[in-house]
Amino acid sequence: MFKSFATLLALVSALTLSSCTSGEPNPNASETLQQKDSLVLYSGRSEELVQPLIEMFEQESGITVEVRYAGSAELAAQLLEEGENSPADVFFSQDAGALGAVSKAGLFSTIPSELTSQVDKQYSATDGSWVGVSGRARILVYNTAKVSDLPVSVFDLAKPEWKNRIAIAPTNASFQSFVTAMRVVEGEAATTSWLEAMKSNAVIFEKNDAILNAVEQGVVDAGLINHYYWFAKAKEIGKDKMKSKLAAFESNDLGNLVNVAGAGIISDNSASRAFVDFLLSNKAQTFFAEQTAEYPLVAGIDIVEGLTPLTDVRNPKVDLSDLDTLDETLELIRAAGLI
Amino acid sequence: MLMQIKDLSLNYGDQVVLNNLNLDVNQGELTAVLGASGAGKSTLLRLIAGFESPTSGEIFIDSKLVSDSKDVVAPEKRGVGIVPQDSALFSHLTVSQNIGFGLPKGSDARINELLNLVGLSEYADRKPASLSGGQAQRVALARALAPRPKLILLDEPFSALDAELRARLREDVRRVLRAENATAILVTHDQEEALSLADRVAILRDGKIIQSGSPTEIYNSPVDLGIATFLGDSILVDGHVEDGKIITALGKITPLNKVSEGQVGVAAIRSENFYLQPNPSGDSEVIGRVFFGHDAVVEVQTPKLKIRARSNGPFAPEVGMKVTVWVRGAVNFYPSS
Amino acid sequence: MRKPPALLKALGIVAALAALIPVGYLFFRLGAGSEKAIEELFRSRTIELLFNTTLLVVSVTLTALVIGFLQAWLTTRTNLGFGALFAVLATLPLAIPSYVMAFSFTATFPSISGFWPSWLVLSLATSPYVFLAVSAALVRTDASSEEVARTLGLTKWQVLVRVTWPQVRPAATASSLLVALYTLSEFGAIAILRFDTFTRAIYNAYRLSFDRTAAAALAVVLVLLTLVVIWFERRYRGDYLSISPASQKRVRISLGKARPLAVTGLLFIAVVAVGIPLYSLVNWSIIGSSTADLSQILEALLGSVSLAVLAGVAITVFALAIALWIVRYPTKLGRFVELSVWANHALPAIVVALALIFLGANLFPWLYQTTALLIFAFLILFLPNALGTMTTPIAQVPKSLEDVANSLGVKGNRSIFKVVLPIAAPGILAGAALVALTVLKELPATLLLRPTGTETLAVRLWSATEELAFSQAAPYALLLVVLGGLPALALNRQARKALSEVGK
Repeated sequence: MFKSFATLLALVSALTLSSCTSGEPNPNASETLQQKDSLVLYSGRSEELVQPLIEMFEQESGITVEVRYAGSAELAAQLLEEGENSPADVFFSQDAGALGAVSKAGLFSTIPSELTSQVDKQYSATDGSWVGVSGRARILVYNTAKVSDLPVSVFDLAKPEWKNRIAIAPTNASFQSFVTAMRVVEGEAATTSWLEAMKSNAVIFEKNDAILNAVEQGVVDAGLINHYYWFAKAKEIGKDKMKSKLAAFESNDLGNLVNVAGAGIISDNSASRAFVDFLLSNKAQTFFAEQTAEYPLVAGIDIVEGLTPLTDVRNPKVDLSDLDTLDETLELIRAAGLI
Repeated sequence: MLMQIKDLSLNYGDQVVLNNLNLDVNQGELTAVLGASGAGKSTLLRLIAGFESPTSGEIFIDSKLVSDSKDVVAPEKRGVGIVPQDSALFSHLTVSQNIGFGLPKGSDARINELLNLVGLSEYADRKPASLSGGQAQRVALARALAPRPKLILLDEPFSALDAELRARLREDVRRVLRAENATAILVTHDQEEALSLADRVAILRDGKIIQSGSPTEIYNSPVDLGIATFLGDSILVDGHVEDGKIITALGKITPLNKVSEGQVGVAAIRSENFYLQPNPSGDSEVIGRVFFGHDAVVEVQTPKLKIRARSNGPFAPEVGMKVTVWVRGAVNFYPSS
Repeated sequence: MRKPPALLKALGIVAALAALIPVGYLFFRLGAGSEKAIEELFRSRTIELLFNTTLLVVSVTLTALVIGFLQAWLTTRTNLGFGALFAVLATLPLAIPSYVMAFSFTATFPSISGFWPSWLVLSLATSPYVFLAVSAALVRTDASSEEVARTLGLTKWQVLVRVTWPQVRPAATASSLLVALYTLSEFGAIAILRFDTFTRAIYNAYRLSFDRTAAAALAVVLVLLTLVVIWFERRYRGDYLSISPASQKRVRISLGKARPLAVTGLLFIAVVAVGIPLYSLVNWSIIGSSTADLSQILEALLGSVSLAVLAGVAITVFALAIALWIVRYPTKLGRFVELSVWANHALPAIVVALALIFLGANLFPWLYQTTALLIFAFLILFLPNALGTMTTPIAQVPKSLEDVANSLGVKGNRSIFKVVLPIAAPGILAGAALVALTVLKELPATLLLRPTGTETLAVRLWSATEELAFSQAAPYALLLVVLGGLPALALNRQARKALSEVGK
C-alpha cells in the first residue's frame, strides 16, 4: 500500500510542479496609474487598532476597504505563496522583518518618493519598497522593588549579577530584530557571547506582554520589551497601580533600538497610494501616538505623555533595511540554545 | 454438607427478590434450582458467587461463613466457579487460554485433560468467535472446572441452544461433572432439564425454596397445586373424597397422597395418567393430536371438560374418533383451603 | 462480495486526493531547494527536535491513555459515585482550546515553561478523546466475562488488566492515535509554553525566517513520523472483537478503600483541566475594562457556528463514504484512501493552509478566499477525526441485517440508507459533533483561508490577545468554551448512552 501511496504522491507533486509559475520580480510603477475605488488590505496590525482608522480613511477618500487581518509573518507567508496572483493591494505590517521578506521576493512596487520622503530615511526601506509608519523603542522594564542598580548598557545584562533576573522573548520578532542589529553593529562573536550569557542569565518568555506581567508580579526583576506594552498595561490597570518602570540604556546603546511598523504596496494603483498617504497623514499619525503610545514617524506630531521624544531616544545608528537578515540571527539564537 | 444457605434475603429498595431462602447442597451432588423466569434464580447464583451482598441471612461454604449482610468474601477467594448463560468467553484469548485462565502457568496437562473431557481438543487454538453455541458452553464449563472449584454454578447454560443440542450437551455436562466429582448448582426454568439432570431439585418461588427433594419425590409429590401444574402437564379436576377415593367427573381415582374423608378439592391428573380406549359408543371425542414420534399428545373433549392425554405415538387415536377416558394409577389431591 | 457504490468511491477518492495536496505541496517546495532542505535536515537541531517531539508525543499519549482509561473505567464500572458528573468533567476539556488552556496556565503560574507544562496541558486536553472512546467500548462490552474472571481467582485489579483492558484495547489504541497526531501537530499551546517540537520549528521557519524550504523539510519529517505512528497503531490495536450485547445486569465494582483516592484524583484532574482555565477566563473578564461589543460577539458567534455546521455536514458526508467503503467493501484501494486521509493528520494547520493558498491563488482564483476553500481545508485537516469516530458504529451494524433488508425487498446497496445509517446514526452524529467542535477551536487555517471579513470566535480571541487586551479576549474565550461545551456534552451522552439503558 505504501508503494501505491508513493506513486500517487509523485503524481500530485508533478501536477503541482507543472502548474506553478516562477516568481518574477514585479514590474515597477506603470506609466499610467490604474484608478481604483476599492482596496484590499492585508493587515498584520490588529483589527482593534486598525479598524477605526480604516473607517476614517473610507469616509475621507470614498474608497471602500476590505481588510484581511492575521499575523504579519503569516500574511507575509501568505503573500509569498500567492505570488503574482495576490488579491492584496497593500500590506500593512507590524514589523520590518515581514516587509523585508516580501520585498526580497520582489512582490512590492516602489512607493513614490513624495510619500517616503515624509519619514526619516532610517525608518524605511533603502530601495523604497516599503515605508515606516510608526515606531517603537526597545527598552528595559524593571520592578521598582527589586532593581535599584540600573544597567548602563544592554551588555551589562550579561554579567553574573543578573543571573535569573532578566526576562527575554527570543521567539519574538522585536527581540530578534534587536539581536540582528547587535549582529550587524557588533559582529557575530560579540553577539554570540551575549546570547550565551543570556542562556544562563535570562528567563525565557514567548511574548513581550508575558514579560511585562512577570515583571509586574515580581516573578522576574526586569525584562527587555517594546516601550508601548508598558503604556498599554498602564492604560488597562491605571498608571498608579504599575509596579514597574521603564528605563533606556546609555546613548547609542543597541538596547535602545527603534523598530517600525510599515506598509508596502503590492498592487500599485490610486487606492493603494491613497491609503499609504493616509497612513502618513497627521490624523493617522496622531491616532497611533494616542492609541498605542507608539512614536509617529512623521515630524511634528504630539507623543503620549511620559514618553521620551523619538529625537531624544539615544538610538543606535542602525539601518533598518539591514535588519532583514533574520535567518542568520535565528541561527545565532538557536546556536545559543535560546529557542 | 458442602454449602448451606440460611434465611437468605435480598431486597432492592422495596422490591423483595429473595425472602428467607434456605438451601443445602451436598458434596458431589448436582442440585437444580427450578423456577419461573424472574423468580430470582440468577440473583441467587450471584449471591453464592459473591457478586452481591445479602440484605440478611448467611451463606456457608465448607462450614465457613462466606456471605452475610456485613461481610462478603471476594469472588476470587470463594472457590466457586461459574458458567454463565451466554458462556462469556474471553474473546481475546484462544480456547485453551480460556480454559487455562484460572490456572497457574504450566498447567498444560490439566488444560489438555479438560479439552479431552469436553471433546474440543482440535479447537484448542481457535478464538471463541469461531465456536458454535454448544462448543462455547463446553469451553465455559471446562474453564470453570479447571481450577477444581468447590462448587460450580451453572446459570441456565442450555437456554440459548436448540433442542437437540441441548439434550446432547446435558448428557455431556452430567458426564463431565461426574468425572470431575464436582458439586454443582444448576438454575433453570426448564422442569425437564431439572428432573433429568439433577440429583436433587429445589423449587424457587416468591424468593424462597418451597420444596426440595429427589426428582422422583418432586415429580410425584408436589407440595401444592402450583408446583403440580408447573412440573409436567397436569389437568385439574374438581372432586371430593369418599371412601378413600376421589370422586370426579372422570370417575373414581385413587389418591397418591394422604387424604381425609369428606375433603373437597382438586385432583391434579398428569397427561400420562390417562388411558384412551377407542370405543365407537364412547362419550368422549378426540379433537386434536400433536404427534411427537415416540408419543403423541391427544386432546379429548369429555362430556364435562377438555383433557390432554399422552399416548403411545403410533397407536394414538386419530382426530374424530370416539373414546372412553380412563385414569390409570394414583394422583395427587389438593384439598381447598 | 458486493461492489462499493460509485458514489462512495468517488467521494473517497476526492478525499484522498485532497489529503495528498499538502504532501504534494511539500515535495514541490523541497524540489525547489533540495540542497538547502537536506542541509536543514542534517543538523544537530533536527535530532534535538526529533527527540523533543518523540518525547512529547509518547509521554502525552501514554498519559492521556491512562487518564482517559481510568476516567472511563471509574465512571462506568465502579461504585465511584457522581459518575455522570465526573463523566461530564472528563469530557469538558474538549471544549477548551489547548491554547486557551496553556494561556490560562501561564496567566496563573507565569514562570512555567518547557516540557512539563506542555506535557500536562496536552495530556489534559487530549484525554477526553480516550475517555469517550473507552467509555463507549466499556458500556458495550459484556461485564459477565469480568465476573467469570473473578471466580477464576483474579482480584478486581487483575481483572482490569487481564480482561477489561484487552476488550477495550482497540478503542483505546485508536483514540491514542488521535492523541498522538494531535500532539504532533499542536502549535498554539507549545508556543505559549515554549517547548521545541517539529511543529513549532515549522511555524518558526515560516514566521521568523520566511524560509519555506526549511519548513517543508521539517514538515516532511513530520509526515514520516505520522506514518510511523499509524503503523504502530495498526500493529498494536489488535482485532476488533465481536461485541456481545450488554444484557447482563451490572453490579458496580466496589473500589473499597481506593474510592476516596479515586474521587480525589478525578477532582484534581478536573480542577486543573477545567477549573483553572475557567477561573482564569472569568478573572480576565472581571479585571480591566471589558469593552467587548455585543454585535461583534454575535457576528463572531454566527461565523463560528455556521462554519462548524457547514464543515460538520461536509466532513460527515465524506467520512461516511470512506467508512462504509472500508467496512462494507474492504478493498485495497479503500485501505489506501484511508491511509492517505490519515497521513497528513499531524501536519500543522499552517502547512495545509499555505498549500491551499498556493493552489487557490494561482490555479483557482475563483475559489480563493471563499468559504468553500476553507471548508475544503477543514476537510483535509479533520476528516480523520470523523473517520475515527464513525467507523466503529458502522462496523457494529451486523452484516446479516443488510441481508435481511435485501431479502425483504430493499434493493442492493439501498440497504445502507434503510438499515446501516439509521442504526449507526447516534455514532455518526457523535462524529459530526466532534468535527464541529474541532472546527470551532481551529485558528491558523481559519485565519489564513477565511473569506476576508469573516469572523469567528477563535479569530476574535486571537486578535484580542494580539493587542494585549486579555480582558477583551475573555468573553470570546468563554463563549468559545461554552459553545464547545454543547457538542462535548452530546459526545459524552452518546458514549455513555447504553449505560442508563442497562441499569444501575
